[in-house]
This record gives sequence, structure tokens and C-alpha cells, in this order.
Amino acid sequence: MDLHLTSEQTLLRDSAAKFIAAAGPKVARGFREQDPSFAPARLRRAGELGWLGILVPGATDGLGLGLGLGLTELALVLEQAGRGLVCEPIGLAAISAAALGQGRTPHPMLERVMTGVALVVPALQESAFGDDPLAPRTQVAGQDGALRLTGKKMFVCADGADGFLVSASGRDGPALCYVARDTPGCTLSTTQTVEGRKLATLSLADAPADLIPPHPSSQNAVDALHNLALIAVSAELLGVMEKAQEVTLDYLRIRKQFGKPIGSFQALQHQAVNIYIRSEATRSLVFQIAANADAYRIDSAMAIAAKAKASEDALIVTQACIQLHGAIGFTDEHDIGLYLKRAMLLSSLFGNAAAQRRRYVAIAGLTA
Amino acid sequence: MFRRDAPAEAEFRMEVRTWLEANLPVALRGRTTRPPPAELMPWYHTLSRKGWIAPHWPSEYGGMGATLNQQIIMTEELARIGAPHLPVQGLNHIGPILMEFGTDAQKTQHLPPIIAGTVIWAQGYSEPGAGSDLASLSTRATLEGDHFVVQGHKIWTTWAHHSDWMFALVRTDPQAQPRQAGISFLLIDLHSPGIRIRPIKTIAGDDEFSEVFFDGVIVPAENLVGKLHDGWRIANALLGHERLGTSNPQFALTALEQIKTMAHASGIMADPAFQDRLAAASINVTALSAMFSHAVELTNHARSLGPESSVLKIFASELLQTLNDLLIEAAGGHAPTEGLISTNFGAVDVAASFLQSRRVTIYGGSSEIQRNVLARRVLNLPS
Repeated sequence: MDLHLTSEQTLLRDSAAKFIAAAGPKVARGFREQDPSFAPARLRRAGELGWLGILVPGATDGLGLGLGLGLTELALVLEQAGRGLVCEPIGLAAISAAALGQGRTPHPMLERVMTGVALVVPALQESAFGDDPLAPRTQVAGQDGALRLTGKKMFVCADGADGFLVSASGRDGPALCYVARDTPGCTLSTTQTVEGRKLATLSLADAPADLIPPHPSSQNAVDALHNLALIAVSAELLGVMEKAQEVTLDYLRIRKQFGKPIGSFQALQHQAVNIYIRSEATRSLVFQIAANADAYRIDSAMAIAAKAKASEDALIVTQACIQLHGAIGFTDEHDIGLYLKRAMLLSSLFGNAAAQRRRYVAIAGLTA
Repeated sequence: MFRRDAPAEAEFRMEVRTWLEANLPVALRGRTTRPPPAELMPWYHTLSRKGWIAPHWPSEYGGMGATLNQQIIMTEELARIGAPHLPVQGLNHIGPILMEFGTDAQKTQHLPPIIAGTVIWAQGYSEPGAGSDLASLSTRATLEGDHFVVQGHKIWTTWAHHSDWMFALVRTDPQAQPRQAGISFLLIDLHSPGIRIRPIKTIAGDDEFSEVFFDGVIVPAENLVGKLHDGWRIANALLGHERLGTSNPQFALTALEQIKTMAHASGIMADPAFQDRLAAASINVTALSAMFSHAVELTNHARSLGPESSVLKIFASELLQTLNDLLIEAAGGHAPTEGLISTNFGAVDVAASFLQSRRVTIYGGSSEIQRNVLARRVLNLPS
């Protein structure tokens, strides 16, 4: 079902679609195993278009750079980024900018992040199992102005990052802290993913950090950023599954066997409809949540539901796309595998579908 | 779930809630199956007197002329209190069809009794030889001067044995190609001579539907709706609305509450494997609510849904079955028990709910037919 959009939202989506026309599978292939695995100039271009400051209120950032738009706009841009297999971390940068700009005085990194000159990404995960984001084992100690972080963060998209937004437990519960990459006590060890980009473990040993206060409308800065991350990644997963589905439908229309296009066979038609139903469900879920929530005050149960659904559906859809392609879909040469790998990466970030469901049981009060 | 009530809407919701609490008989609340007319129709009449029987009808026809948000509030509140399912063939199907395609005389004759609840309607589409392949239907209506003579056999007709009138698809041109071009839309008085109705018991133990035999039944020519041979288009015109109606997430939300009741009672609620499946189902209920709100929003902005509404029908009906799978799993050894199972957490008619849910992927076009429609008409796959 089409989205009901304002004319401004339609324009924004169209300009994002133009941006991704210059991306796509070929470009994504070129970045595999590069360092960084994206084009810094393209990230700056996204900054010029306003997308990195899309959630930052223009009046309060002190720079007038922020667009001060909502989650629908963020989701529209990230859906396109997913469709285009865009490698520049637009979503992670945009939600980090939102966090850097949420205090009474914006963090000094805000301007550089919003313009894409520097990159800051969230570092919230601590285990493969999926943990309670509000009870990090990483500790923060000291007074504001002289904070120190100790602990370990996993699965950080650290490619090209200049700093991190780290969740840590302090005296008053979970706190969000900014730590610079080149700060003493901060070390990274990176792992190559099949998708082409790297994930890193961030070790913090008494590393100096700055406190990021919560937005006035949110309870806790860690919770707000985590929910925002779940929605952002869900929107990107949506784009990935939609584009993979389109590529596959095209293939079903042209590939012939038994003298007919294989898309005329009912078994394959029903498979195609099954993946269409999944992407439609994820689409309605992501955009209904986006349309009805404030970026700094997303309901946790809703964010978790979106990420659980998007993660599961993106994997099922992209796997079905490989199957519907047959042997050619199993080759590295064909692009359809790139969508499966992107889905693998994104669905694992900030907790996979099973981890989300585990958390959902308690957060949504299912057993109450 | 996603939409927040505006102040006036919140006020309306409270008005509806309070009135329902005061007026809906307790014996009619939380019923798994539709009560028989003797029990159900007095409630229909109460709603009618209140002016709330047809929220979606324009006021010129005796409806409420409610906004879509008010309509959603009404269905949510009716579901919340566990109101019984009303006969909908008049209110949701033939009523709107007559408003769009009927003559003035047809509207005057048929719309007021639907509002008043003095006439019950049945839908005569399926036949023994025409189920999924509906266009192959063979019940003949032959025009002889000022009347049709109807000969044939309809089946799976919900509530036909309680109904006064039927709107039916009949074959008026046996030679037409495509076959859809030889079908007309006819209103038939079920009290006419030559009609025999036999109720059919379902696997759920009730007799919700019947088969109807027509043997030389005389139907006045003015009971034709629209033009001769144009019945297929009329029957399909309002399909999107019908699918939206059957996809209301309230059915799934009710099932979710029943699962919780039984899972607490049996103790399976503590099992992490069960919790995971319950979470997955619950997340899908949230997704269904999102799809429903999305569809309502589009309809609100006057964009007709068309064949893509089949997505909603498939998702809602298959999810309801998944939920009922969880329900019998939660009930464990109690699952096959007939009737209400009373527990410390509430009472649920598990077996009836489970068995009833088998129908939803069949009626109104089976899931497989809906998938064919989506493949061809929405995904543009070749035939």
C-alpha cells in the first residue's frame, strides 16, 4: 500500500532516491573490504542535503543546520538507503547527531557530524546474545567534566568513525557518553563481515568521556538512542527487502523454463506473494510507528516490535529471493546475494529478531 | 494502537463505552459463535433505536454518517466489551451496493428494513460447482416478460435459514465469453414458492450456513440490480471494503487475550519457548494493527484500496489461525473439551474458537485465490 505523504515528504523521498541512483550493488561491491568501506565525500554530501541533521531542531543546535523533522522523514531516507545498498552510514550518523544535539548545549562534535565531516556511531551492544540495553556492564565513573569509561562494546560499526556514543552504568543508572576514537584507553579490534564492512570491539580502559544528557522529553538518553537505532535499522532493512523483491520479480518475468516465464508458475507466484506480504507488513509497521511517535520518545515495545519484524522478514525475504533465482542466485557474480548479506548485517545489529522477542516479552507485559 | 484519539473522539469513545456497558445484555458478551436470531436480533434493534446500527452509512439512508475514526472507535469498543457479531450481509454488503447501484425504488424498499433489523439478508454467491472458480456459476435466471425464472442451487450461504432476502449472482447468458459477462445481480425473496433451504452443520458444531435450492422461482424483473449481465462488476465493486472489515485487528486482539488466559491457567506461560512464539504472534498483531490503520488512512484520503486489500485479508486470517494454534497449545490437555473451559483467570471456549478459525482462510476468497489475485494484478506476474 502506498504511503500517505505530504508534498514535502514526497520531495524528500525523491531526492533520497536520486542520491541512491549513484549507489547500488556495483558501488557496494567496490567498497567490500575497503577502509573505510564507504566514500567520505558521499557522507559529506548526505550532510549537505540535511539528512544527517534531519532530526536535530534547527533552532536549538545553534547552527541552523538541523532540519528538525520527524521519524517519518528519517525512515523515508533510510528506506532509500537500504534500497540502494548505500554504504555510507547515514542512519547511524543521523541518530548520533540527534543525540549529540539533544542537551541544553549541543556537544561540540555536533556540527562536524551533521555536516558529515566527522562520523560518530552508537556503541550500545555488549554480547552476542542480546542484552538489556539499560543495564550495561560498561561502567562510567567520575564527575561530569572528568568522566572515565571502562568496559567493552561489541558489534560497533566503527568503519571511519571518529567517536562513539557509549552506554554505561553509572551511579544514577544508565548513562550515554561520548568518547573519541583517538582518546587514551580506547582501543578497537575489527572483524571483517561477509557483507564487506567491518564490525569492531571497542575496549575502554579508564577512557575519558563526555556525558550526553537526555532530551527534555525523554526519560533516559540510552533508552532513547537505542529505540531510535532500532527504528532506523528497521527502515533500512525495509528498503533492502523491497529492492531485493523487485529484482526478483523482474527475474521471474523474464527467465523462461518449460517454454514459459517462470513467474507464470503458481508455486513461484505464491512464494513471490508471500515475500510481498512480509515487506508490506514491515512497511506499515515501520511507517505507522514513525508517524505517531516523537523521535526522542519512542515507545520501547513499538521499537522492539519493528526491529523484530523487520529483522525476521528481511532475512526470510532475501533468502526466498535467492531461492527464486535458482543457481545464479548462489553466485557471487549476481547481485541478489548482496541484499541477503546486507540483511544479515543489519538484522544482527542492536539485537536480532530472537533477542528482540526475548526483550519484548517483558517490555510489552506479555506474561503479566 | 497507533492513532491517538482527538479530544472529541475520546469523548465519543467514553459515550459509546458507557452506553454499551448499560445496554448490552451480559449473556450476549464474549460469545464465540453468533447467537441465534431470537437472542441476537433484540440487540440489533436496541442498536438501531440508538441510531448506531450503521455507523458507516450516510445519514440520508438512516446511518450515523460517522467519520472513519469514529467507526474504528465503535468497532474497538464493541470488541472490547465482547459484543456478538451481527448479521452483516445487509449492513455491509447489499446496503452499500444498493446505495451505489440500486434504483430509487430498490433503495426505498430495502434500505429502511436493514436499518430497522426487520429483514435479514443472505449472500448467494457460491455453488456446489462454483467455489473458487466463482465465474463458472450455473444457477440460471431466465427473463420471461416481466419476471425472471430462477433454477439452481446455492451453497455455503451464511444464515440463509434465518434470512428473508438473498442477493445472488445468477447466470443470465450461458453463452457469454468471458463467463463473467453472462452474470447478473438479482434480489430474491426467500419466502417465494419453489425455494428450499437446508442448514449445514459446520465442524464447529453450529449451523452458520445452508444450501438453498431454487426450482422455478419467480423473481420480478425490477429486482435486477444494475444492468443485465453486469452483475460481476457490481459484486466486485465493494470487495476492498469487505476485506477491510474482515481484517479488523480486534479479532486478533481478542484471541491474544484468550491465549494469555489459558497460558496462565495451564502454566505454559513460564516456558521460554512458548513465550518466544507468543511474542512473535503478538508482534504480528501489532503489525496487523499497523496495516489496518494504514489502510484506513488511505481510505480516509479517498484512495480506493483495490486488489492490494487482499494482503490484509491473507495476513489477518492466517494470523488468526496462528493465534488459535497457540490457544490450543496453551490449553494443553483441555483443548478438545467441548464448551467453555473455566479457569481462575477466566473462561474460554477453546475448541469452538479454534474450529471457527478454520473458515477465515476459506471464505471471501480462499488464501490461495487471494494469492493468485495478488500475483497477477499487483505484482504483475505473467499468466
